[in-house]
Amino acid sequence: MPVKNRFAELHGEITEWRRDIHQHPEILFDTHRTSALVAEKLREFGCDEVVEGIGRTGVVGVIRGKSDKSGRVIGLRADMDALPMTEATGLDYASKTPGAMHACGHDGHTAMLLGTAKYLAETRNFDGTAVMIFQPAEEGGGGGKEMCDDGMMKRWGIHEVYGMHNWPGKPVGSFAIRSGPFFAATDMFNITFEGLGGHAAKPHETVDTTVMAAQAVTALQTIASRNADPVDRIVVSVTSFETSSKAFNVIPQRVEIKGTVRTMSPEMRDLAEKRISEICQGIAATFGGQAEIDYIRGYPVMENHPEQTDFAIEVAKSISGDCDEAPLVMGGEDFAFMLEERPGAYILLGNGDTAMVHHPKYNFNDEAIPTGCSWLAEVVEKRMPAA
Amino acid sequence: MPVKNRLAEMQEDIAQWRRHLHAHPELRFEEHETAGFVAEKLREFGCDEVVEGVGGTGVVGVIRGQGGGNRAIAFRADMDALPINEATGAPHASTRPGKMHACGHDGHTAMLLGAAKYLAETRNFDGSVVLLFQPAEEGGGGARAMVEAGVMDRWNVAEVYGLHNWPGMPVGHFAMRPGPQMAAPDKFEILVRGKGGHGAMPHLAVDTVLAASQIVQALQSIASRNVDPLENVVVSICGFRSESDTYNVLPDSVTLKGTVRTLKPEVQKLVRERMEALARLTAQAHGAEAELTYIADRVVLVNDPQGVENAAHAARRISDAVETEMTPVMGGEDFADMLNARPGAYIFIGNGASADLHNPKYEFNDEAIPFGTSWFAELAETRMPLG
Repeated sequence: MPVKNRFAELHGEITEWRRDIHQHPEILFDTHRTSALVAEKLREFGCDEVVEGIGRTGVVGVIRGKSDKSGRVIGLRADMDALPMTEATGLDYASKTPGAMHACGHDGHTAMLLGTAKYLAETRNFDGTAVMIFQPAEEGGGGGKEMCDDGMMKRWGIHEVYGMHNWPGKPVGSFAIRSGPFFAATDMFNITFEGLGGHAAKPHETVDTTVMAAQAVTALQTIASRNADPVDRIVVSVTSFETSSKAFNVIPQRVEIKGTVRTMSPEMRDLAEKRISEICQGIAATFGGQAEIDYIRGYPVMENHPEQTDFAIEVAKSISGDCDEAPLVMGGEDFAFMLEERPGAYILLGNGDTAMVHHPKYNFNDEAIPTGCSWLAEVVEKRMPAA
Repeated sequence: MPVKNRLAEMQEDIAQWRRHLHAHPELRFEEHETAGFVAEKLREFGCDEVVEGVGGTGVVGVIRGQGGGNRAIAFRADMDALPINEATGAPHASTRPGKMHACGHDGHTAMLLGAAKYLAETRNFDGSVVLLFQPAEEGGGGARAMVEAGVMDRWNVAEVYGLHNWPGMPVGHFAMRPGPQMAAPDKFEILVRGKGGHGAMPHLAVDTVLAASQIVQALQSIASRNVDPLENVVVSICGFRSESDTYNVLPDSVTLKGTVRTLKPEVQKLVRERMEALARLTAQAHGAEAELTYIADRVVLVNDPQGVENAAHAARRISDAVETEMTPVMGGEDFADMLNARPGAYIFIGNGASADLHNPKYEFNDEAIPFGTSWFAELAETRMPLG
């Protein structure tokens, strides 16, 4: 059975929710409007319990099935937060908040889980309890971890968790997944280069941190190109570079660079941390300055559990006929924390031929909604089949 | 004969004017109070003409000598301050946060006022002295504004002179050189555009931070490799800013900005050409694009040889320490526009062992006052001697 009819019916409504969320992006834990909207809808749908303030601004909705002989509790999770970026889509429902944008499709994830909640609350065609988990701060804030630290799994006795991410480049209606390590461990770094500022016309009286930091950026490329085992995986990206002054004629005292490291193994993770420190300190010393490195370990590798992955594949195939094996993803995903607490699986949902996630022209494809909702609903109905 | 007696007597008054101006700094084209103070004093001294509002907020004073001739020479002082937070702790420190006379323009203005008072009292010359109190030397083009307002023609100015206090040179010393003395301060911006994307998927993006870093390095070769080592050049990158400031988004673009200093048009041309080629081609090598905006709207300050002789002759009547072959300086000075309009000279007078210009701890040395005022007075009397 492919897409559920009910989701085809609800498509328009769910799309409207999605676009409304899209227009009001909120960053990290500041998902106040989004969380309030989610809680309101969950109550409207008739959820048995709606609890706000889990993991600061996360929302949990509980839907009890027709019966509960199994005593099973299955969690479905969606993320609500947006990115600090400027939207360049030109859509009529584009972000109304300058400097914030739903550039990763979390608006779509939230809308789809809401649609699924509506359907499950209407039909309750399962034996057990379904827990709808709406988390903030997936983008670097560890919102999922905060919800776990608030005792969410224990409070509702959750046995398994499932989640989904839209995937540009894969056709709408298709799925992909892999068992075991799937998404990378994500670390962040802040490096401050300190030199000696001064007048731009007298470089010989300064220690030029811009040149120093530029050399460091170039040297950092060698971690991937020369230090890492070529059959393992690593990404080292410098994503921000800012001089402490912006005048045309002042050599800045300080430059700050930031970035991210992605690895699939502890060896590569440790290597990256070590080399970043050695390279930046060495280059700073070469030019007569100093470097201070702040390396922040972020999300762990996200690993799909084999049994739940097989089940996820089964559900995907029943909706779209097929399910591809996904390649490793160097992106991070804080669903990794939930998968460390409970068994479960995370699947990819085709978003069609759109711009990549995190691109200023990216947009979640509303055409994917019925497929995504169907999968989420089927996970509950097939994992906790009605008697 | 050293410092004129009358000027030694006036020292305390002039120093008080200087400190008053120091406590009330105004930025370019906002010098309303300073100009008002200057105009009031010039009228008090008995100048034959006092005109305000020239070239924006500039003030012109005219003193006709006893001789009655129609030759005129001009003296110029700059009035504007800098957007810097004063850190001297002096009793007369700036009363305006974020503004400071960190370049000694308060001293220049006070010295020219002192000279004006003396010349208005004595009038021992044949012709007119035109006093140009100009606004906006620091990046605002105040000199050009006064020239374009027609000051040279209106008052029949034949020669124009100015001075700058110079930290590091002992009080009582003078320095100058014929030909190029101060650099043309060009400004540039390089916009590096690539393809933004996810920090974990560099292969799908075009990394503008890396490309821009490579450009920073490439630009170092202009001074080290392209310009004749016997010529003078500075290429400083002072601002480097990625268009987004996150840990995991590769920015779509990076903006570099900075300054170029040269003493000769042919060197300036070479630098501009090399900068354009290096930026464009380095970016291209990385699959990115670089667009150079080069702003060359200022000129090299060139002292005419006869002007230097006149200036040195007047200086030698006050001091034995007169250097006429000083090394050129790569800082910019907009008096260059006045020297472009009329022959003359711009000289440096010692400020003693103070902090550097533009430093928050810089202090104009009031002990230099008699030397500056005497020099202007001597110039008037030696360039336009009574019959």
